[in-house]
Amino acid sequence: MDNQEELSHKQSLELIEEMIYKAKNSYHESGTSALLWGGTIMFCSVVSFANTWLKIDWLNMVWWLTFLALIPQIIISIRESKTQKFKLHTDDAMTGIWISFGVAIFLTSYYTNVFKPEGSACLFLILYGIPTFATGYTYKFRPMIFGGIICWASAIVSMYTPQRIDLGLFFVSAFFSWFLPGLILRKAYLKKGNV
Amino acid sequence: MFKELDPILHSQLRLAVMSLLIGVKEAEFTFLKDKTGATAGNLSVQIQKLKDAEYIEVQKQFKDNYPQTLCKITPHGIDAFEKYVKALQGYISSNGQS
Repeated sequence: MDNQEELSHKQSLELIEEMIYKAKNSYHESGTSALLWGGTIMFCSVVSFANTWLKIDWLNMVWWLTFLALIPQIIISIRESKTQKFKLHTDDAMTGIWISFGVAIFLTSYYTNVFKPEGSACLFLILYGIPTFATGYTYKFRPMIFGGIICWASAIVSMYTPQRIDLGLFFVSAFFSWFLPGLILRKAYLKKGNV
Repeated sequence: MFKELDPILHSQLRLAVMSLLIGVKEAEFTFLKDKTGATAGNLSVQIQKLKDAEYIEVQKQFKDNYPQTLCKITPHGIDAFEKYVKALQGYISSNGQS
């Protein structure tokens, strides 16, 4: 681009539109984090669901995988921040929302382990819906908006269902809120020539 | 009577840089270079002019042992950009184009 070129008014407006469009389309969410968390929750749900018949004590520990998944998540976050050449206005807000979600999930897990309240699945499903819906709403990404609504609908259903069905609701919620949006994002990311 | 267009913004590369920065919180020099297709030398000169006009902030730092230049539009720059766009729209709506 040469700075010496004299621009007409129309060309100036066209240039502004072109650059705003370029900036907007430079944002590439890889979908890796969504796939990681969606996959982890789905796996834990299936194992717990199977264990309602198998009744093997140590298999109940499978939910500790959600804490182990923090390690690859930290690695993914560091790697993505190194390659990102710009920051959006919404980035800090999104980071804040997801950190709040992580803390809320940790505290809720602690509370449910100590006090063993009835129907605690509902609390987790309500929490799952919050950052999912907020992210989808902020980025106008319909699959995540839909995923957040699925989580809240599952939360309502879980108030009236036994634990075994609740595990199925966890699976469905994790699939629609994270795994499916993750797949869509990943496909778009690879299509744009990223590796 | 039309307002005179801001001479700082009414230049191809500076306008392109401002248009890119208006949509993001901050951007690296390499991002601006990639998107505008300008040479590093020319871009540096134009960024300096925008900085002198206080339309953008420039922060130089190191990231993984490599120098990194971050550019960010200022509130003054946003104001100037909005006025420029309104003035352009005024020109175009009144007489088609210049």
